[in-house]
Amino acid sequence: MEIDVKSLHPLEVKVLKNTEGELAAEKLVKNLSFNIGQCNQVFSWLSVKNLIKEKKRIKKIQYELTDLGKEYQEKGTPEELIVKTLKEKGSMTIPELSSYLGLENKDVGSAYGRLAKVGILSMGEGKKVFLNTSHGGWPSIVRTLLNRANESGFLEESELSDEQKEVISEISKKRGASASPFRLTEREEVIYEVTPEGRKVKEILKEKGITGEEIGAVTPEILSSGEWKGNAFREYNINIPPSRVLLGRKNPYGEFLEEVKNKLVSLGFEEFDGPLVETEFWNSDALFMPQFHSARDIHDVYHIKKPEYAKQIEQPFLDQVAQTHENGWKTGSRGWRYSFDRQFTRRLILRSQGTVLSAKTLPRAKVPGKYFGIVRCFRYDRVDATHLSDFYQTEGIVLGEEVNLRTLLGLLKMFAEEVAGAQEVMYVPGYFPFTEPSVEVHIKHQELGWFELGGSGIFRPEVTQPLGVEVPVLAWGLGIDRMALMSLGLNDLRELFSYDIESVRLRRRKH
Amino acid sequence: MPKIEVIEDTLYQLVGKRFDEEELISILTSAKAELDSRVPEEGLLKIELNDTNRPDLWSATGLARHLRIFLSAKLPTYNFFSTKEESKDWGNRTVEVDTTLKSIRPYITAFAVSGKSIDEPMLKDIIQSQEKLCWNYGRKRKSIAMGIYRSDLITYPVKYFAAEPDKTKFLPLGFEKELTLREILTQHPKGVEFGYIVENFHRFPFLTDAHGGVLSLPPIINSARIGAVQVGDSELFIELTGTDYPSLLHATSIMACDLADSGFTILPVKTIYPYDTPYGREVVTPFYFQDPITLDLGDASKLLGVEITPEEAKKNVTRLGCKASLKDNFITVTPPEYRNDFLHPVDIIEDIMIGRGMETFQPIMPTEFTVGRLTREEEFARKVKEIMIGLGFQEMIYSYLGSRKDFIDSMGIPEDRVIRIENPMTEKYEYVRNSILPNLLCSESVSANAVYPHHIFEIGKIVYPEPAQNYGTDTRNYLGFLSSDRNVGFNEANSLVSAVFFYLSRDYALEETSDPRFIRGRAAEIVYNGKNVGIFGEIHPRVLENWGIQMPCTGCEIDLDKLLEE
Repeated sequence: MEIDVKSLHPLEVKVLKNTEGELAAEKLVKNLSFNIGQCNQVFSWLSVKNLIKEKKRIKKIQYELTDLGKEYQEKGTPEELIVKTLKEKGSMTIPELSSYLGLENKDVGSAYGRLAKVGILSMGEGKKVFLNTSHGGWPSIVRTLLNRANESGFLEESELSDEQKEVISEISKKRGASASPFRLTEREEVIYEVTPEGRKVKEILKEKGITGEEIGAVTPEILSSGEWKGNAFREYNINIPPSRVLLGRKNPYGEFLEEVKNKLVSLGFEEFDGPLVETEFWNSDALFMPQFHSARDIHDVYHIKKPEYAKQIEQPFLDQVAQTHENGWKTGSRGWRYSFDRQFTRRLILRSQGTVLSAKTLPRAKVPGKYFGIVRCFRYDRVDATHLSDFYQTEGIVLGEEVNLRTLLGLLKMFAEEVAGAQEVMYVPGYFPFTEPSVEVHIKHQELGWFELGGSGIFRPEVTQPLGVEVPVLAWGLGIDRMALMSLGLNDLRELFSYDIESVRLRRRKH
Repeated sequence: MPKIEVIEDTLYQLVGKRFDEEELISILTSAKAELDSRVPEEGLLKIELNDTNRPDLWSATGLARHLRIFLSAKLPTYNFFSTKEESKDWGNRTVEVDTTLKSIRPYITAFAVSGKSIDEPMLKDIIQSQEKLCWNYGRKRKSIAMGIYRSDLITYPVKYFAAEPDKTKFLPLGFEKELTLREILTQHPKGVEFGYIVENFHRFPFLTDAHGGVLSLPPIINSARIGAVQVGDSELFIELTGTDYPSLLHATSIMACDLADSGFTILPVKTIYPYDTPYGREVVTPFYFQDPITLDLGDASKLLGVEITPEEAKKNVTRLGCKASLKDNFITVTPPEYRNDFLHPVDIIEDIMIGRGMETFQPIMPTEFTVGRLTREEEFARKVKEIMIGLGFQEMIYSYLGSRKDFIDSMGIPEDRVIRIENPMTEKYEYVRNSILPNLLCSESVSANAVYPHHIFEIGKIVYPEPAQNYGTDTRNYLGFLSSDRNVGFNEANSLVSAVFFYLSRDYALEETSDPRFIRGRAAEIVYNGKNVGIFGEIHPRVLENWGIQMPCTGCEIDLDKLLEE
């Protein structure tokens, strides 16, 4: 494996560059002023990269200075205190010494025992303790050990003389060391060596002159001090995986809908919108769907529980629409020949088709005029991968003297090409209760193959005339959800309205 | 839209021609039909019929008739139709209607057939036509219901009257014991399904022969004897009852033409009413009731965008089954017996279009100039969206429908502020949201695994009751946003609101609020132009607990429409 030297941490660089032979923590502490934590880390990094490997393990014994040991080092050991007292005050009994020094009888007793053993003290008449000599021997060895240990907190057994080893073993314990000045610990030290790969890297580092002392982060301090001048900057590995950024962004489905809206605006269409709660009148009656039509059953449209009815329907549209249903009014139609229910027509429901807004636009529409809306509609459907209880519908109208079947086909062709990017277009007769003639447009999409892009037709005179429109009106609707799913790489409509934050965050458009 | 199943061989036999799949798909467009799927192992085609005003196409026989005529431009003759002027011979076949039915289910039509023994595929197709006609065209039997009987067991006149539901008993089809009419409503599966049509009447419609032999309880169930038609029967009596006479006559004509096409002889039946009907007190059925309709071909040329000559128009409509006569530039169409979809002269224009063929019309671009624009609300929403994205928020799009638990209980708000659906399909989609906050909290509740922090928003519509409005409700465009992380709080939300208003160039003030959805003292109402336009703050842990959320959240929502008001 080729190692990019830029991916080495400055600590790694320093270790590789500055050490020869065996690698041990101690050496790094001593030579490179690393702390133990840094040593362990750098060994682990370098081992993973296979630049160093374990060579051997050495058992090590250490003597750690305990709290008691620190106290002895500072204030003197009982032995030292006894010698000093006897030297200054003359001979005393052990209880006298204890009470003078504020120590326990047994501690003074055991200290006496140790000193007597090496001939420094002896017991005389009246059980008085006598000082034979105040120099050398056991207490001074202890003192040396305490002082040395105080510097680093511990002593390595390997660095002690035989005499010192003998003494320290007497005044240390493995556990429960509170009564002893030293705690004895045993551990294994791992010794590493540089691998052939490591040696290669070392060569490269040398060649490139990388020292591990290069400037890392550029800080305001470095800039203001000018410290960077004459120093090298550490080169970074540009191939390490970047960390994740959380950003604000559009919902890709919303973005898709916005693009369709923009496209329609660019084709000269003006947007319409309206309330989610509608009346049966605008939802169906105004579209010349008879009140007994099967699509108007309770199982097709959501009814509002409260309030049930709109206060009124705008005139003269109500009368005109009602008469058109009953007998055709003056539209030339025979009508549906039933008695129009003027209460039912005020029934409040959730808008079930975008065509509602096309109908509502008619009375105020300009001629010529082009209108569209991408609006939320509600259907009494069991929710699954292909059905939703609420969804967006794309609908619109075109008003003008030039509206006819051929311009309708032209418009559908324009949608097929501009909105869906279709290559081939096919028209077939369609059926919608409110248009005559009606045409469906099927398109061949690059990825989806043939599918029905939309339906359209020329509004029946029974729709336009009662709403005060005398010119032909072309009505169209586009089914863009399949294109949306494809563009988002999804195959379940429910995903378009996902609650899951992570899946929405990660969702992308394919194009 | 009805979907029918037809046996491929039967269909081709009736048409007199076989099609490969591509040809079939193409020719079906002339009937506004689509091949839904095929089941090759059973030789079945499933076909979807899009035109709900053409119930004559909802059977193999009817569809075949259309295709046959469309290809040959030759019209069939049906000589068993009576008209206002002339009644065909009904022999002794009469139905007598009792006066009590006038307010219950006033109309009945009937005819008999003979001359052929019925086979399995034919029986299936007849039952399919019956179901589609009564379900889709007859509004689930409410306006049209049909019964088929063994006519050799019937003694005329057939009596149609209203019977006592608790005193009248018979053995219904599929049962082994007699039930009263009222018991049928609760015990027979068809009674349970269709009983609602008659249950509120004191008496139920009832049909017997002259000797009191029971035919059926229309529109619910036949009797087990006269009403049990089987393969091999050759003498049938067919009746239809309902509330709308023209559609009843229409359905009767369709059944009669279908059976005639299948080789049966149609035997007319006379119905005698004790009250007036749109077609008199004595009507012999099948009955031709349609009126001719006239079109100015100038209108056709204008609407189709090509010049249509009278001869061409006549040829075109013939392919759709219509007889036509010409005078100057006018065409008068006599609809075929089985069609009743000519309401307005424009309906002829469509037949001309189909008869001529879609491929004969060249698309042209509309040339009239119009100015395109977005609504003011959409433009404003886009501005707000851009600010929210700049503030690091992810846009979400949610369903507007939800459950009582999500929109009301978990939020701790009163039910009467939320619009409820009277006929929900499931309780999961029973209310229309009056706030975006529950949607945002729902997102948070399912997204604890998503890397924090969470910053999400939606701009969408909400609805609430507003008695002053004509619709008793108000639909508003709202912005809602939510932040969730270990250290979110009022101050951060406050800064966000301040940024939004700053970049929308609008000044606002804050007022304390005691809205229980938020922690008291850590929420504020936003006041703009002297009106309360929104609220934000730290979501109350009680609300978070309801949603099962264990991360602090701040939320805000603003009525964007109010920011647009002058």
